Order: sequence, then structure tokens, then C-alpha cells
Amino acid sequence: MQGFLVRRLGQALITILGVATLIFFVQRLTGDPTYLLVPETATQADIDALRHALGFDRPLIEQFGGFLADLARFDLGQSVVQRVPVSTIIASRLPYTLMLAAGALVVAIGIGVPVGVVLALFRDGPIAKLAAGFVLAAQSMPTFWSGILMIMIFAVTLGWLPPSSTGGFSHLIMPSIALGLLSMATFARITRASLLDELSKDYVRTARSRGVRTPRLLVRHVARNAAIPVITVAALEISNLLAGAVIVETVFAWPGIGQVTVQAILARDFLIVQGVVLLGAFVTVLLNLLSDILYSVVDPRIVLERAR
Amino acid sequence: MKNRRLLAKAFMALCLAIPAGSALAAKDRVTIDLSGEPSSLDPHVQWNPDSYYIYRNIFDNLLTRDDKGDIVPQIATSWKYLSDTQIQFQLRDDVTFHDGKKLTADDVVYSVKRITDPKFASPQLGQFDKITDAVANDAKTVTLTTNGAYPALLAQLVKLSIVPKHVVEAVGKDAFNLKPVGSGPYKFEAWQRGVSVTLARNDAYWGRKGAFPTAVFRAIPDAATRTANLQAGASDLAANLDGDLAQQLKNSPRAKPVPVLTERVAYLAMNVQKEPLNDPKVRQAIAYAIDKQAITDGVLGGYEKPALEMLTPAHEGWVDGIKDHPFDLAKAKALLAEAGPKARQEISLVTAPVYDQRVVQALQQMLNEAGLKVKIDMTDMAQWLRRMQSGPDSIPQMAFSRWSCGCQDADGVLFPILHSSSGWANAKDKTIDDALDGARQTLDKSKRLAFYKTVHERIASENYIIPLYQAAVIYGAAKNLEWTPTPNESIFLNRMGWKD
Repeated sequence: MQGFLVRRLGQALITILGVATLIFFVQRLTGDPTYLLVPETATQADIDALRHALGFDRPLIEQFGGFLADLARFDLGQSVVQRVPVSTIIASRLPYTLMLAAGALVVAIGIGVPVGVVLALFRDGPIAKLAAGFVLAAQSMPTFWSGILMIMIFAVTLGWLPPSSTGGFSHLIMPSIALGLLSMATFARITRASLLDELSKDYVRTARSRGVRTPRLLVRHVARNAAIPVITVAALEISNLLAGAVIVETVFAWPGIGQVTVQAILARDFLIVQGVVLLGAFVTVLLNLLSDILYSVVDPRIVLERAR
Repeated sequence: MKNRRLLAKAFMALCLAIPAGSALAAKDRVTIDLSGEPSSLDPHVQWNPDSYYIYRNIFDNLLTRDDKGDIVPQIATSWKYLSDTQIQFQLRDDVTFHDGKKLTADDVVYSVKRITDPKFASPQLGQFDKITDAVANDAKTVTLTTNGAYPALLAQLVKLSIVPKHVVEAVGKDAFNLKPVGSGPYKFEAWQRGVSVTLARNDAYWGRKGAFPTAVFRAIPDAATRTANLQAGASDLAANLDGDLAQQLKNSPRAKPVPVLTERVAYLAMNVQKEPLNDPKVRQAIAYAIDKQAITDGVLGGYEKPALEMLTPAHEGWVDGIKDHPFDLAKAKALLAEAGPKARQEISLVTAPVYDQRVVQALQQMLNEAGLKVKIDMTDMAQWLRRMQSGPDSIPQMAFSRWSCGCQDADGVLFPILHSSSGWANAKDKTIDDALDGARQTLDKSKRLAFYKTVHERIASENYIIPLYQAAVIYGAAKNLEWTPTPNESIFLNRMGWKD
């Protein structure tokens, strides 16, 4: 176990270093942000002076060295546009991303799983066809359109919900639905597939022959077994949702990580982009490590020493 | 069943309770939706609309512009030129910062020196670097020295905010940016990152006080959402809408579009050193081929106005009665036929996503209809800016651009675009260079106007650039909000109020 941990931590470090190198140089390849910062009337001398003051005229390798040295001290640097520490900016946006991801997941699972059950139980019936149509429609609607449509209906016309921005729980409802409907289809499909798979197994036939009714059969016998693939998909969806939902965040003026990243990319605010990418890499590496460890805890048949 | 209905009713009541609550508070609070959050609230760092819309309410300047656009006193009560390069300002002595300390000549000097210090690295440096010295003669008098006569100085000073020396020195620039202290009609209260900035009325303000105890500026990136917010009554003012959304607001019972022509001029930039645009006939054909009215009325919804010159009536240096080339497709075709086969070579029209692509495509279509072969070349804004000011050898053949110096003075527009010393320029025209230099060296308004008239006429005859239209900004406002927007794209809270 110990040897495994040391090896995995080493790998994690190399992965993060690789991501840091890649993001640093790829961004620098596109130029620097100086032109975007100065007003149109700035002369070449003004532009050069600002570039020098911001340090973008130093040799790339020197900039990279400075970046790595800062990183070793967990210092992500300062935004060149806002002149605020990148860590402050990310920390202020992260809670909103978590909230929206949680809300979307509740919607996706809350609708997706029951719909999947309906699809499996009433296969080929009219109800299932209706449900399948609903799933398809929800997945096909682009969020920039469904989002603004929801705002027009529920905020402007009916006045039930606030149209945008943050505040209480009511502000979270529409963005969660807009985002959640997209992953709902995935949950419905996986639930349907895994349920059908389980329903065809011997233990189900045995239970039926004993006269167990369908609801009880589902809850007591099938649910647990069918849930495993659904949980796997949920884990994948969480990392997707955490990566930020740029369009939903823009339409609903929801101040999450996705929104700030896109704005930073457009403004060439390199240090924010670096910070977000590194955070993403860190979270992914950490989750992978945790899930590897969890496998062995949950299933003693998996022995970490042998896992490569 | 009964339970379920009760639950549904409770849910509806919960939802309804929220907008009703905010409506009650509406009279005390004005909510303004901008397209982004401010880049900085330190007025010496960034100059972009989402930032200055907010911080210009927190800070005062030496001078300001009134709603008519005239330069009028603010912190300075009067000013006089001691020589062509020295100007002396008398200051008010009843101005206090939000922390209660008095604003003195030292603060003015400190502010000028701070923004012009190359080490401070203000992106705005280029607008003030003609100022070489600032001296406090006494607590109420300040003298500025410029590097040569600088007629646009007053127009630039309208944008130089006065910051409190004692606060900035005590807390440092990073902390000041997060919690700015000024002397303006509104005080900084809170900045919820990515969401909103809240200001509170400065009840001790020396000048016209604001009508609203609280003002909230929110970051709402999507223009359709800003419009929906107005229609839902969730905001009172929204910046940056387009013609289609303005049309939508016209039918709203709650809000209305508020368009205003700005000092920004859209134009077709060309590299007149490169083939085939080095041929005056080709450029003349281009001028005839563009139907400016069709762009402003057909594409943009009628809020913009066709421009005959590179300035607007809001600029010092605007000359009435300049003649441009009226739209005439037959003449354009004939001129291109005269120019011969080289006019048929491919011309790339460089653009970036921030520009209205409908206009760019309309231009392409109009020019191709006349017989040119124009291809659209899309790049990102940083690349666009780099290429456009890279000098005559590498400036792209053609580009759509919009220009504002934020100073309403010809020097901030014509000099960078056309003078041979500027990276944007490629005309290499001695008449224009001389006129621009001449206008820069005199403080005499009528002499300056004569110089600029020469420039306008030369542009119209040589077609180095084609002025297209005076751009509008379209705000949306709640029907009960009283406010007159100005060409310099500012939102001054103390010039707004509620209609009863």
C-alpha cells in the first residue's frame, strides 16, 4: 500500500508538472495581452513600456522559471487585467460552480433515473415512447436557447423566478434545470440499460416466480445491482459539471469558473487560465487517486500493490 | 391530493415572494446591468466601460463634461494658461474624501504623478504622458507642465480621477483597488466578485447629490438576459444592447430602449501601400461601392448615423459640410474597370469577433458586387490589434474598425490613425502629417480647426480610410428612470432620477 501511494503521488506530480508546462507555453504562443490592455491611442513606446512593466518582454524560459518557482510556493500569481491574486478570483468563483453542479446533478438524477425506470419497465409502450421523446427533446435543446426561453416564461411573463444572477435558492432553479436537462438523458439511458440487464437475470425470474410484485422487486432486489453503472456515470458527470458550464453560466449571469475562464482566455489573462487549468488537473489527479484507493476498500479482491 | 395542492400553493407563494420583495425596495436602489464585472476599481489602472461606468461615480476629476458635452469645472474651479506648456488650476476647498479627510492640491499632484509614473504601469499612461510635471503651488493651486503645447490636455484631464494620497500610500495599490476611497457622489460599499459592485450615496458630497441611496452594478454577460432583466423589472438600466433587443424593449410595458450616438466612428481601414489599394482609383471605387445608409438602416436597425468624416459633432475638430462619395455602384464598377485586372486580386478583410460581423459581411458583399474580390479573415482581438498597428509593411490590406479616443478631440483620432509616426498609419501623406503636427502645436481653436479641415478634405479626396458611421450605444432603461446618456459613454448616477 505504501509503495503504491509513493508511486502514485510521484506520477501525480509529474502529471501536474506536464500540464503546467503545456498550458504555460501554449498560451504564450498566442502572443501577450499588452495590446488588449492599452487604449487605442497608445503609442508603440507606451505599449513596450507596459509590456516591460508586466514582464512579458523577458525570455520565455526566464518567465517559465519564475512561474515554476511561484507554483512551488503555491502562488498562482496575479491577474494582469484585474491586478488581484488569481487564488482570490478562483476562490470567489468556486462555490458558485459547486452549487450549480450540485443543482444540475439533482435535476439530472431526479428526472433521469425515474425516466430510465419507466423506459425499462414499459418498453415499447406508449408511455415509454413519450418519455423517450421527452429525453430526446431535452437533450436536443441548446442551452443558450432553452435558458433564455425559461427566463422569458418563468421570470418575464409569469414572474415566478428571478431572471438571472445570484441570491437565494430561487436563483439556482433555472440554471440547474437548464444544465441538468442535458445530463438527464445520459442518466435515463444508463438506468434503462442496466435495469433491463438486471431484469433479465435469473434471480429476478426466481423472485417473480415466488410472486414478488414489481415495485417490491425493484426496490428490494434490482435497485442496488442496477445502481452501480449509474454511480459510475454520476462520477463522470460530476467532473464534467465542475469543469464549468460556460453557456449556462453566461445566460444566467452565474459567476462560476467557466465564465471567468472564458473571459480570461479572451483577455489573454494568462495567470487566471493557468490557475484554473492547474486546479482542474489537480482535482482530476486527486479524484483518480482517491477512487483507486476506494476500490480496494470497497472490493477487497482488488489489491493495490499489483495495480499498475 | 389536498396535501399536494397545498404544497403547490406554498411553492408558488415562495416563488412569488421574491420578485415582490425586490419591487418594494426599488425606489431606494437602482440596479444597473453591465456586460462584465469591472477589471479594476482603481481608476488609474484600467480604462474600459465596465470599470469606469462604476469608478467614475466614486471619484471626482479636475474637470468633467456636462450633458451637452462641454468641458466644465469639477474639482478645479478655474484654470489659466501661464504659457503654451504651463496651465494653472484653482481648486475647490470644500471637497472631502469618503473617509472625511480634505482633498487638497497634494492629492491632485499625487494622482497626476501616480498615473504618469512608468513604474506604475498604468495602461492609461499614453493619454497623460505629455504631462511632464505637476506642482502644488499652495493647498488650492496646482500647475501642470506639458511637453510642448498640448491642446487636448483639458479633454484628457476629464478622465484623470483624483485619488487620496494618504489612503493609497497607507494601504498600497492592491488593497486600494479592492476598496477604493474617492471624493465622488457615491461611496464604495461592497464588491461581490463576479456578481456585483454596490455603491452607497455620499450624503456629504459637495455637488449634485444622487437620487438613489444605493446603486448596484451587476455583471450580466448575455445581452438577451440583460433585456429580460429589464422586462422582468429586475433591473433599472442595462448597457450594450443591440438593435434587435431594442426592438423587443419597445413592446415592453416596463422598459424602453435609450439609444445615443457616441463619439465612436466606424471606418474601413486600408493599407494604401499594398496592391491593389495603392491605386487611388480602386480606393475611390471602394468609396462609391459602400452604401453607408444601407448599413446603418438595413443592418443595424437605424440607431447609427452615416459618417462623412472620421469625427462626430461631439469632437473638437469636427468640420461641418465635408463631402464624401455618395453610394454609386455604376461609378464604382466603371472605376474598377479602368483600374484593370490587378483590381481583381484577392483582398483580405481582417476582423475579430468583437466587431459586428453583419457589418463586415455587408461590406464584403458590397465590395464584391462592385467587382472586387474581398475575403474575410477572422482573427482574435489581441492579434487584430497587434497587426493593425504594426506599420505600413505589415498592416493588413483591409479591416473594419471602430475608433474612440474617449477624449472627444480630433488629436486622439486623426493623429494615431493617419500620422506617419503612428503604428496604425500607412498613408505617408505629407499634407496630412503637417496639418496634424500644426494642430498639435497650437492652442488656438480656429487655427486647429483649419488644420483639421485640411485633413478631412484630404481623407475625402484620397480615400485613405472610409468613414462609415457614427456608432450608437443602446441602453435599456426602466420606464420610470430619468436619464440622458451622453456621447462619451458614461453613467453618472447623480445625473439620474426616478420619474414620479
